[in-house]
Parts: sequence; structure tokens; C-alpha cells
Amino acid sequence: MATITAPAQKAAPPGILTNRAARKLLTLAVAAAILVPLAVSQWGGTTWPSALTVDVSGPLGTASDWIIDNRDSHPLFLYFFGHVSNAVVISVHAVYLALLAVGWAGVTAVGALVAWRVAGVRLALGTAVAFLVCGLLGMWVPTMQTLALMVVAVVASVVVGALLGLAAGLSDRMDRVLRPVLDTMQVLPAFAYLLPVVLVFGIGVPAAVLATVVYAAPPMARLTALGLRGADKEVLEAVESLGTTARQRLLTARVPLARKDLLLGLNQTIMMALSMAVIASVIGAGGLGDRVYQALASVDVGAALAAGIPIVLLAVVLDRVTGAAGERLGDAQASPATWAYALVAAVAVALAGRFAGLLEWPEAWEAEIAGPVNRAVDWMTAHLYSGVPVIGGTADWAGHFTTWVLDPLRDGLQWLPWWSVLLVVAALAWLIGTWRTALTAVLAMAAIGVLGVWNPSLDTLSQVLAAVAVTLVIGFAVGVAAARSDRFERWLRPVLDVFQTMPQFVYLIPVVALFGVGRAPAVAAAVVYALPAVVRITTQGLRQVDPAALESARSLGATSGQQLRQVQLPLARPALLLAVNQGVVLVLAVVIIGGLVGGGALGYQVVFGLAQGDLAAGLVAGAAIVCLGLMLDRVTQPTERRTTKGA
Amino acid sequence: MSTSTSTGTPPGTARPPAPVFSVDGLWKVFGPKAGRVPADPELTALSPAELRARTGCTAAVRDVSFDVRKGEVFVVMGLSGSGKSTLVRCLTRLIEPTAGTIAIDGEDVRAMDKSRLRELRRHRAAMVFQHFGLLPHRTVLDNVAYGLEVQGMGRAERRERAAEVVAKVGLEGLEHRRPGQLSGGQRQRVGLARALAVDPEVLLFDEPFSALDPLIRRDMQEEVVRLHREEGRTMVFITHDLQEALKLGDRIALMRDGRVVQLGTPEEIVGSPADDYVRAFVRDVPREQVVTVRTAMRPASSADEAGAGPALRPEATVTEAIEAVARAGSAARVMSDGRCLGVVDAEALLSVVAGTADTAGPVEGSRAAGAARVDDGASPPRAKPGAGEAPAERREPTNPALATTEEPV
Amino acid sequence: MRLRTTAVAGALLLLTGCGAADMTEQASPFANAQGARTVTLSVQSWVGAQANVAVAQYLLEHELGYRVDTVQVDEVPAWDALSQGRVDAILEDWGHPEQEQRYVEDKKTIASGGDLGVTGHIGWFVPTYFAEEHPDVTDWKNLDKYAGLLRTPESGGKGQLMDGSPSYVTNDEALVKNLDLDYKVVFAGSEAAQITQIKQFAKEKKPFLTYWYTPQWLFEKVPMTEVKLPPYKDGCDADPAKVDCAYPHTPLQKYLNADFAKRGGEAAAFLKKFTWTTEDQNQVSLMIAEQKMSPEEAAKEWVDSHESVWKAWLP
Repeated sequence: MATITAPAQKAAPPGILTNRAARKLLTLAVAAAILVPLAVSQWGGTTWPSALTVDVSGPLGTASDWIIDNRDSHPLFLYFFGHVSNAVVISVHAVYLALLAVGWAGVTAVGALVAWRVAGVRLALGTAVAFLVCGLLGMWVPTMQTLALMVVAVVASVVVGALLGLAAGLSDRMDRVLRPVLDTMQVLPAFAYLLPVVLVFGIGVPAAVLATVVYAAPPMARLTALGLRGADKEVLEAVESLGTTARQRLLTARVPLARKDLLLGLNQTIMMALSMAVIASVIGAGGLGDRVYQALASVDVGAALAAGIPIVLLAVVLDRVTGAAGERLGDAQASPATWAYALVAAVAVALAGRFAGLLEWPEAWEAEIAGPVNRAVDWMTAHLYSGVPVIGGTADWAGHFTTWVLDPLRDGLQWLPWWSVLLVVAALAWLIGTWRTALTAVLAMAAIGVLGVWNPSLDTLSQVLAAVAVTLVIGFAVGVAAARSDRFERWLRPVLDVFQTMPQFVYLIPVVALFGVGRAPAVAAAVVYALPAVVRITTQGLRQVDPAALESARSLGATSGQQLRQVQLPLARPALLLAVNQGVVLVLAVVIIGGLVGGGALGYQVVFGLAQGDLAAGLVAGAAIVCLGLMLDRVTQPTERRTTKGA
Repeated sequence: MSTSTSTGTPPGTARPPAPVFSVDGLWKVFGPKAGRVPADPELTALSPAELRARTGCTAAVRDVSFDVRKGEVFVVMGLSGSGKSTLVRCLTRLIEPTAGTIAIDGEDVRAMDKSRLRELRRHRAAMVFQHFGLLPHRTVLDNVAYGLEVQGMGRAERRERAAEVVAKVGLEGLEHRRPGQLSGGQRQRVGLARALAVDPEVLLFDEPFSALDPLIRRDMQEEVVRLHREEGRTMVFITHDLQEALKLGDRIALMRDGRVVQLGTPEEIVGSPADDYVRAFVRDVPREQVVTVRTAMRPASSADEAGAGPALRPEATVTEAIEAVARAGSAARVMSDGRCLGVVDAEALLSVVAGTADTAGPVEGSRAAGAARVDDGASPPRAKPGAGEAPAERREPTNPALATTEEPV
Repeated sequence: MRLRTTAVAGALLLLTGCGAADMTEQASPFANAQGARTVTLSVQSWVGAQANVAVAQYLLEHELGYRVDTVQVDEVPAWDALSQGRVDAILEDWGHPEQEQRYVEDKKTIASGGDLGVTGHIGWFVPTYFAEEHPDVTDWKNLDKYAGLLRTPESGGKGQLMDGSPSYVTNDEALVKNLDLDYKVVFAGSEAAQITQIKQFAKEKKPFLTYWYTPQWLFEKVPMTEVKLPPYKDGCDADPAKVDCAYPHTPLQKYLNADFAKRGGEAAAFLKKFTWTTEDQNQVSLMIAEQKMSPEEAAKEWVDSHESVWKAWLP
């Protein structure tokens, strides 16, 4: 027992798995013994055999050209996509005009008012401060642009998600169809959603909004369905016993009973929409994301920070307010009168602002932070970046990490014969899940080969693996520490909260400053992004271990180290597995975005496809990302999550 | 309220039967192709375990027939898994029965279309649930008014009605709380009020008090007794608690494995158990609180006996008789309409208490006279199945429900 | 139910304007807010383009009273965005014959805005210190000789030819293949990354081979010498897969959305007249990139000292 240091090894305690695992492995070995020689005799070599690839770039390129040529003439575009696009533009425009018309004073007042009514005084103050900081940083107009886009995207996502959720919540058949789709959409990196919408709508706000909706609607749909399905059976029965019609049941009982889940769905949708609205700047969303994107292109960390801070503030405020609204449900609700007073006050502030000429944020009040930040970054790069005695600079670390970890890992993966990669994937997925998960994983991996992006995908995979390893080592260590020390956890919690609400894009800024450009910063950003979730799940898992089990261990005189190793970690195994799964999914999302800072591989191809208007190349990479995400999720997904069926 | 006198009267004798619910040959089978089970005599003969093995089906209710008479409290009693909750849900088709007939006031419930069924649920039968089934996002008042809202009643009117009912169940001042802010007993009062608000013909109770603390449970039981006394509403009451059944029920249907094993008054159940299962079940019930002097009396041996001594009504319990006999120091007379039906003396009363006075069924008591009451260890081995939940409450000083309205003469 | 569906559909139609909706004619939703006249400019990721936009923006805002939105769009998608009216103008285009054919000639949704005044040239460059040491490196035929010297971890066993942003006009992968060179094209991901890398090499006096272009302010910091590729002939780059010649010298072009060119008023007229020299552009670029001034400050400084130049642009 004493040798077990990395909890990851606990993933397969021999005692439990021996029989089943052995059987599975044996089956797999037999299948491999038959299939592999066949495959090798046909298509040897280490990389995916070219005979088995399908070149889709030709047809995709033709399709893309056709769309561009027919966008202004074909009825499909004129009568359907055109209207969709128009509706988006009109609504975003309307919201944007409204926000500008209310003025900064008005927006701040209304924001604070809403926060006050649904979440209390402290959050109201926080909201006001957040808005003022946005103005102070000279980011008022971009903030409003992002906000306008967000409002439209969130409303659309909520409507679409709620309708889908309603369907899945009320109909078992819809649920069976939708659930796997939604589950899968949840694990896919945001980047993969960009290309298809660009193909249809072209670069610009409509594409950005629609990509955001596609990305942000699934959590709403999932939670709506979950809430409707999870309603207290006896309450529904009681309601039915009073002779309600199906519609009355839905409106007066099922929906109100699900309101906590609905609000949680709203919260998640908002967070995902914000994160996507920022990423969508790559396809012309404008606003804050665009400022970050521009700053990234010129490695202007100061400017990126000036645009990044409002994003973070917006994220934290929106998260807290919707979260608090969910928690305060069921408490006595404010009477309409207080709402009315507060509304009048807000309108008064807005009007006062208007008459005082405070519509536009006064330039004199803007604080220039780009300069000082850049000087600080310059100082940092000069002193920390390289040549620090003994420990070396951050750039040196990045260099070493690339040379000693990323390169061997990538070369190793690419050196492996293609069929052995498939075998490893199959074995892992089957060991941890069912033959279905294994099949999905293998098929996804094979699809990558068929699409002809085997090598770049393995490159991306190597970055994911390296980042996951680092994330898990740090995450488990911090998680264990937090589970053992209340004070540490209290201190850690707000930090995690903030990190978890930040859009993925924001992580790219500081890592570029520290690690330069290349694969190492992409990995670093991924680690930072995935760490909070891993730490949180680990801590929760360890803390939720049955106190009675711990108490009995203590009563037997176990040291705290023994308790951890022999009781807590084994009992928290499901949580740890979940942490691995989440870590992988989150890491992949950021490693892909790493294409913007020189991460190369699939992310780069997507960026390339977007940049060169070569959507065919981008779409292939996007599809490969989807497959990779699917494969990684299945390989790390504990069986518990799909309980009913399987071995 | 006008029927309050009927409460104490064994309904069978008091008025002609006018069944509110009439259930005949009711089956509810869960599982694949459930419909074939009641129709196939070979399958119906199987035990639950065999049926499950053969068909994968579970028969929750098996060939159940009974009438619920107007104004009575009809208790369905059984241990968990006996099918009693399924049975009560079949009455308003919250669970769709597999076979058999259900009639309410002579109208076939199973033949009702959707709107007629809604009508039934809205106006004729309201149910009170074990875990209350309240809407957490509504205030007490709005929960109580919910049934009326569903019927389409206007806001002001339904709130007014609801406020009356809220007062009736003793929740004044709590109208604007939410269910989450109430105690369990208060919540069940809300559930009761919600059912009462629609002024139904029948109240259905599905183990309404089993989630409550014993003391609160007793309060609530008394509340039900009070309501029944005041309004005389027909009630169907599901419980697993024998004490509760004896206390509330005019008649009790005892269920086991989906079948009704005995249907009768509390006295019949306790006094003449239909089989060993029932006997084991009622073994620990203090008989003196259930058995009436009508059962315990013997014919007067002499005119002397018939002419003197304290007088008792035939419905008086043995407990009351003991008190009277002890006070008088002599046998007591059982009088009805000025006629002496018989006498009860100390010996007869003692044999009831000792369990040796069973008027029907195989006698088991003679060999273990007093010991059986005191020492559980002496109980016959086959008595075990029934020993489930009832004994836990048996030491509680409860008043026999049927005696509450009576004064010793 | 059907009635309601119809009503909703009808409302949607009303909302979006009846009948056909051509999404290729939509302005950015952020344009023309609050009655201000808005111009949306596409800004590309390299500093020279930022310099153009900064000066144009400064003058549009301070001299002509426009509100200017800038959107960073990569070169090729920018054509699409320009055609749809989501941006009004591209101020510096390095030559995209395919797009020009499609949008300017065929669809007529984009109008030429004339020369920027700057001539651009793309090529392969080695640092001058390296060229002085090995003068024959400046002929492509000798490049293979130096492949070993130019090897890096990222390029594997071959020499490294460093490219910048994936969005730039480049034939390098085809060139390497068609000229049969022992090199691998490594993309730095962005121009900023490329510059950082070049500066690092220069600091350590290491040799490198890079895709680069003029005008570019970096030449003042790191002198570089061009490697001669097979000479450019008209049409030798017609098929991107078969290119085996140098990049042409391109007079950089401005393009305007056709509609904006017609109805854009003073802004369109101003942008058509906007033209300056390589030195002007470099001056502003250097202020932005090296002195870390904000584009607006840099533009202000240039505008303050070159009044005679920009006065001519005003309508």
C-alpha cells in the first residue's frame, strides 16, 4: 500500500477488476490476434494507411464555393438562412442600441438593481463595480457589444434548450434520442463548432451568435429534461389526483418544480455563451473577444488584459447573480412594490445620466493599464523569462518541457503502429466502460485516420496527455490538501470560482507572456484551465467519503496518512475518475485553442482554415477534434455514468 | 354533521348499504403483457413468487372486491408490499387497473373518458398523500386553493374558500408560509385541507400519517376523527398501522400479497381472525379495547341477574365494562332499548383480556392463558409473520376509536 | 396548434421583412449606433495594416466626425465580410486574384479603392550577418547546403523555413516541394511570435531562414537579406500547387464594399484618397510595435507632424 502514491493508479484496484478485466482483455487479445496480422499484411507502416483515407477536402471545397456563390441567390439562403441571419442582426442591433441609449450610468444602475433584487446587496455592489471597471478600462463600448451579443445568444439558447429539454423531459423516446447527443455536445471543444456556421453564414455576428447558441443550448436542454424528469413523483401524483389536465400539470407543477434545475441551466448557458462569445471573435463576433484576439496577434499582453478583465468581471458577476438566484428560490419573495420602487430608481438614474450627458463613458475617466502592464511584462520577460540562475527562466522551462516531454510523447505516439493505437484505445475504453464505449472510442479514432489527419491528431493527443498528466498531479495534490485543511479550502474556494468562470480565451494571454509561443504555452493554458475543476471534484469526493468509515479507521488507530490512502482515496474513486474525465475534456478544449499561440496540430488547422477561408481544411480538422473529444471522453468515462446497460 | 350518530353504530346494522365505491374482482398486474394474468385461471392460482418466475409479472392487487358505504371510514390495512397503496390509486385510476370493475355511485369508473375522469378527480374523490405532495413554490393558501384553481375557479373566490378550510384544519396564521417552512404535521394538515377544499364526496388517505412522529400522528388521527364526526364524509384510509386502523375504521379490509384476507369491523377482525395470518397480526392488540360486551356477555342465568347491576350498552367495550363491574363489585347487565340482552361478569371479562374468550376460530389461547399477553416468547411459532409493525405502538394508551362518542351508561 | 404556428411564422416574416432576405447585404449590428455615422474597417494582424487603420481611424474620427469600428478578420474571410457589408473597407491587400475575380469582377459587391501607395514584396530572408558570412546562401540553389545549420527541434531532420501567421499569403509549402528543397515550413502561428523568434535568433547571432516581407519595420532592428528565388514571371503563380517562382512586387490595394463606395459619403471619398508612402507607414508601425505606443497615440503623433500629407485626403 505504501507504494501507491499517484491516485491514478487506484483507478483499477486489482481485486475488483481481475475477473472481468481479464476476461475483457482476453477477448480483445483474441480479436487482435486475428485482425492485426490481417491488417498489417494489407496496410503496414506506422502511420494510418493512406489506402484507408478518404479525401474529403475536394467535395468540401466545392460545397464551400457553392455556398459563397449562391448565398445571395439560392432560395435556401434567401428564404431561410437569410431570415435567420437577419433576425440575429436585427435583435443584436436592437439590444445594442438599447444598451447605448440607456447609457453607462443607466446600465450600471439597472444591472445593480437586478443583482440586488435577485441576489442581495453585496452582489449588487459587485455588479456596479464590475461595470464601472469596464468603463474605467476604456472598454465600455466593446463590453456593450459583447453584452448585446450575449443577450441575444442567451435568450435564443434558453428558448431552444428549454424546448428541446421539454421534449426530452416529456417524451421517453425523445429523451433516448437527445440524451447521448447532448452528452456528447457537452464534451466537445467550442472551437469545433465554429466552422460549420461560418460555412453557411460567413464571418460575422450572425455566425458568432449561432455558434454560441449551438454551444450554449445543450446544458439548458439537459437540465430542463433533468428537472422535468426529476420532479417529486408524489407531488405529480397529488396534482394528478386533483383532476388536472396535462397542460395544467406542466405549467403549475412540473415546470415550477424544476425551477432550480432551470436556473442552473440558465447559469450554465450564460457561462458557456460568454465563453463562446469570446472565442467566436475568431469568426467576427466583435466586442471584448475581438480586442483580446487583436491583442494576442500582436502579443500585446497589456491590451489583452484590459479587454480580458471586463470579460472575467462579466463572467463572475453573471455567474454569481444567477447562482444566487437559484439558491434564494423558495425564500419569501419580494413584493412587486419593492421591484417597482427599485425600477423607478434605476430609471431615474438612467435619465439623470442621460440629461447629464453621461451616455458615453467620459474619456477622461479611462485608466490606461496597457502601458504599465506591458512594462511589467517586459520586466518579467527580461528577468523571469530566461537565464534565471539555478531554476532557469520560464522560457527555459517551456523549452525543456517541449524537448523532454512533448517531443518524445508526440514522436512516441506517431511511432506506434496505427493498429496498436486503436488497440490501446479499445482496451482502455473497455476496461473502464462497456463494449459500447469501446466501440465508440475505436470508431472515433478510426474516423480520424480515415479523414487523413492521423499525425496532427496524435500531435494534439500528445499535448492533451502531457497537460492531463500535469493537471492531475497538481490537481490531486491540491485537492488532497484542500480536503485535509479547512482553512486552505476556504482560501482556495474563491480562487477556484474565479478561475472556473473565466472564458477559455483569457488563459492564453498570461501564458504567452510567460512561455512565449509554441506548444508549451498551449499546454500551460490547458493546465490552468482544467485545474480548478479537477481540484474541486477531488476535494468534494474526498470530503464526501462516509464519515463512519473514516471514524472506524480512526478508532483503529490509523494515522491520517493511512486514512487517506486506505479509506479516503479508495472510497473517493468514482469522484477521482470523474475528475480525470473532466480534466481530459477541459484540457482538450484549451489545447485546441492553443492553435492561436502556436500550439500547432489540429487547432492550428482550424485557425488556418478560418484564416485562409479554406473551410475544407478547417472542417476536416474540426471533425477530427470532435472524434478526438469523443474518444477521450469514452476512454475516461466511468461506467457509473451510463448505469443501466452493459457489462 | 347530521350523520354523527352513525359513527358509533356498526354501519351494517344502522342503515341500508349505499355503496359509494363498489369494487369487484379488481386486479392490478405490473409487468409485460399484464392483461393475460387475471384472465388465466392457471396463472391466478400461482403464488406471487411463482407468478414472477413464470411471467415476470407482479400482481399488486389480486381479485379484490368490497363496497365502501356512504359515511363510513373504510380502512385498508396491510404491510408494505401488500398492494394497499396500489389499490387506493386504482379507485381514481391514478393507476390503471388491469381487470375488474370499479363503480362510484353506480357509475363505472373504468369506462369513464378523460374528461369524466377529471371530473371525478376534481369533485368526487380527493386524496391525501403519505409525503404530502405539496407544491413547494406555493404558499399554504395557494396550495390549498390549488384544487379549486384547477377547476377554474376565480382567484378571489378560491382564496376565500381556501382560507375557510385552512382555518378548519387549524392552520390560521400560516397562510403565507411555504411548505418548506412548516413541520411535518402542519404540512399534512395542508394536504388534508387541499383535499377538503374541493368538497369531495370521498376522501382517500394513502398512509397519511406514517411519515409523522407518534405524538403528531395521534393528533392528526384525532383530527380525522373530529372531521369525520363533524362532516360524516366517506373516507377510504390506507394504513400499515393496526392501531390506527382499529382506531379510525368502521370496517377494515386486511390485505396480504394483493388479496383481501379479511374484511370486517375491528371487533370481528380482532375477535374472530379469519386465518392464522390475521390472528398473528392482531395477537398483541388489547382485546378489551376492541371487543364489545355484546360479544363477551352470556345470557343472564336468573331474573335476579337480569334485574340488577350496572347497565351497559351492547357497543360498550370490555374496558368500560371492567370499570363498571369493578366499581359495582358485581356483574353488569347489557341493556338495549330497556331490554336485558345478557350479563357480563368479572370472569367473562377476564377471559376476554386473557384471550381465552374467543368466540370463533380455533382456540389457541387455552394453553397460554395469561402468558401470551405478557411474554412474547411464548407465542406460537407461526405467529411470526404478522408480528411486523403493530406491536411497536401497542403500549400506547389509546382510546378505542369506536368508544369515543360513547358515555358509559 | 396549426394556427399558432402560422401566426408565429407570420410574425417572424414581418419581423425580418417580408419575402426574401439576402444576408449578403447586412451591415454589422454594431454599425450606425446612436445616429453616429459609422465606418467599419478590417484590421489585419500585421503592424503595417494596423498603422493604416490607426491613421485612417484617427482622421475619420477627429476630422470627419465618424465613429470607427475595427474588426480583426483574416485576409481571405475579410473579402467575404467586405462583400457582405460587414466591414466597409480593407486598406491593405496583398493580392488575392481568386477573390478579386469572384467579388469584384463577377458579383460586383466589392469595388476597388485604388493604391495604398505602398509596394509590398514577400520573400525569403536570412539575417544579414549570416549572408555576409556565407554569401552564396542568397541563391536558393545553395539553400540545401545550409539545411543542417538551419535545423531546429520543430523542423525535425530538415532545415527550418519559418512562416508567420497562417493567414498570410504564402506559397512556401508548394515552393519547398516544387524546388525540391530539404526544408520544412514551420508556422510560428502569428506575426508576433515570428518577430519574437527572429529577435531571439538575432540576439544570439544564430542563422535562420524566414518568410518575410517589405515594407516592414523590423528591418531597422534586424537587417535581413533576401534569398533569390527563381524570378517571377506573369502567371507563374497561377496554380498554387505548381508555384516555383518568387513572389511578385505588389502595389498594395484598398478595397471598399461596393455599396459603401457609392453611398459612403465623405468616409468613402476619404478612404479612396488615402495614400501614403512606405516610410510613412513604417514610421507609424515602429511607434506601435517598438515604442509600444497605442495605435491611437502613434496615429496622433504622425498626423500632427504630417499635416500636408493628410490634408490632401480630406474630401
